[in-house]
Amino acid sequence: MKARKRERRRNAKPGGGTYVFRLFVAGNESNSSQARGNLARLCEEHIKGRYKIDVVDVLKDAAAAYKNGVLVTPTLILLKPLPKVTVLGNLNDTGQVLAALRLAGDER
Amino acid sequence: MSTGIAGLDLVLGGGLPAGRVTLLSGGPGSGKSMIGLQCLLHGADAGQPGILVMFEERAVAVRQNASSRGWDLARLEKKNKLYLMDARLDPESVISGEFSIKGLLAILDQRIKAMRAKLILIDAADALLHLYDSPMRERRELYALHEWLLDRGLTAIMTVKTVPQEEAPSRYAFMDFMADCVIHVDQRVTAQITTRRLRVIKYRGSGYGRNEYPFIIDENGINIIPITSNVLQHRPPGPKVSSGQAWLDDVLAGGYKCGTSILIAGTAGAGKTTLACVFTRAACLRGERVLYLNFEESAESMVSNMLSPGLALQPLIKSGTLVVRSYLPEAMGVEEHLFHALKDLDEFQPQHVVVDAISACERMGSDQAAFEYLMRILNACKERGITCIYINQTAGLDIVAEISGIGISSVIDTIVLLRHLPIGGAIVRQLIVMKSRGSKHSEQFHEFRITDRGVDRVKA
Repeated sequence: MKARKRERRRNAKPGGGTYVFRLFVAGNESNSSQARGNLARLCEEHIKGRYKIDVVDVLKDAAAAYKNGVLVTPTLILLKPLPKVTVLGNLNDTGQVLAALRLAGDER
Repeated sequence: MSTGIAGLDLVLGGGLPAGRVTLLSGGPGSGKSMIGLQCLLHGADAGQPGILVMFEERAVAVRQNASSRGWDLARLEKKNKLYLMDARLDPESVISGEFSIKGLLAILDQRIKAMRAKLILIDAADALLHLYDSPMRERRELYALHEWLLDRGLTAIMTVKTVPQEEAPSRYAFMDFMADCVIHVDQRVTAQITTRRLRVIKYRGSGYGRNEYPFIIDENGINIIPITSNVLQHRPPGPKVSSGQAWLDDVLAGGYKCGTSILIAGTAGAGKTTLACVFTRAACLRGERVLYLNFEESAESMVSNMLSPGLALQPLIKSGTLVVRSYLPEAMGVEEHLFHALKDLDEFQPQHVVVDAISACERMGSDQAAFEYLMRILNACKERGITCIYINQTAGLDIVAEISGIGISSVIDTIVLLRHLPIGGAIVRQLIVMKSRGSKHSEQFHEFRITDRGVDRVKA
């Protein structure tokens, strides 16, 4: 039952709400910078004006990393809309990231 | 740095390399995580706080498993001596592009500072590496982790799963080169009996035992029984003591020598156990302690059977001079048997040990297993100056060909052979001393009878 519900939510079309992201990075290491750039570009292209990105540097705020169970950097967490989605890596594979964030096929 | 596992410290020539990385590899269920945890707990108890990073297990499960061995992790956690870090990744996470474990390291850095950690156990490091899709990245990440550990001066243990029958899968072979100390543990089944073994593959800058060492996991954790010395440190034989029967003392030119090894061999029903019990009783009555390891019958049945030749053993057990241990040979592996026996030798400190019968020891797994067991017991006895009486059952009447007793006869000092022959419609029991190092002895067959007063000689 629960699984089916989750499945339905996952396949839900992107609505009109605001997307809230939290991106965990490790200083200015190359993967982290790439993730930052990639995320900003994706948002601008697909959900312009409807997103919020909160960047957390684990080197400065380890407590936040611990609280969110962030073990690898970069880690992107989509907090809203639910369900929560976690994407690890520098987000170089645009198609895959869009699919994970349920933004694929959304070319408005 | 001591591991807290006495036998392992001996094998490692002192302990783990402090401030370095030790790799612990082994198949599933081989005991590697437990070795790691025991080291960590020992450190925490000795004032060296430690962190356990788990890539596979849940913290709750680890706490539960530990408590079943009487290890109270929560107590150490409360005192800030131990920290369990659940580092399992959410399986629903999507992986897109490269990443590193900086987040984990940042969290750990904070904990290390807060609790002044000295030790770290990274359990199932292979699970972390599985995240990376290329061996090159795996390697790079591992080198980074290694550097990170060294920079912080932590004494680290990393456990890595291997496929059984494979020491280090080529995939992780480079880890062997990186670590300063590599220990491999495995679990194998021979003749339906499981044995665990440990081997140090490398240890930079340390002399270490290069053999495979059997170990067991019991309610207290890991127990390793290393071969204590590579030189024979046997004590010289002591004075002669009575065999319990005056006529037999004559045959043996004075009795058995203390601290030597004696083999009593013979066919079934020839009176081997009776002869050993005659000695046991006499020794106990002199106030000496005897450990009787019985692999053939229970203590109760032995006590009741020995009433027939008039040997009351129960009072000796009660007074504490006789300890009878009854084990089913196939119930445990050789190392567990050894462990129990050596523990008894150390705790009870007997003057004499009887093993009844070495022929049953083959059921511990194999000839090799039995040989190993008997040699280790014999060495342990000789190092401690304990008299060791082995009983061996031979199948046929042609005892001489069979007395080799699983190949140990060369290290036996005295051999007493018993046989019974059908002569004139009756059974005639005979005894002969085949060998008695450093002592004269009769070379005759001597006829004897088992009566209700022990073993009596029948005058020719």
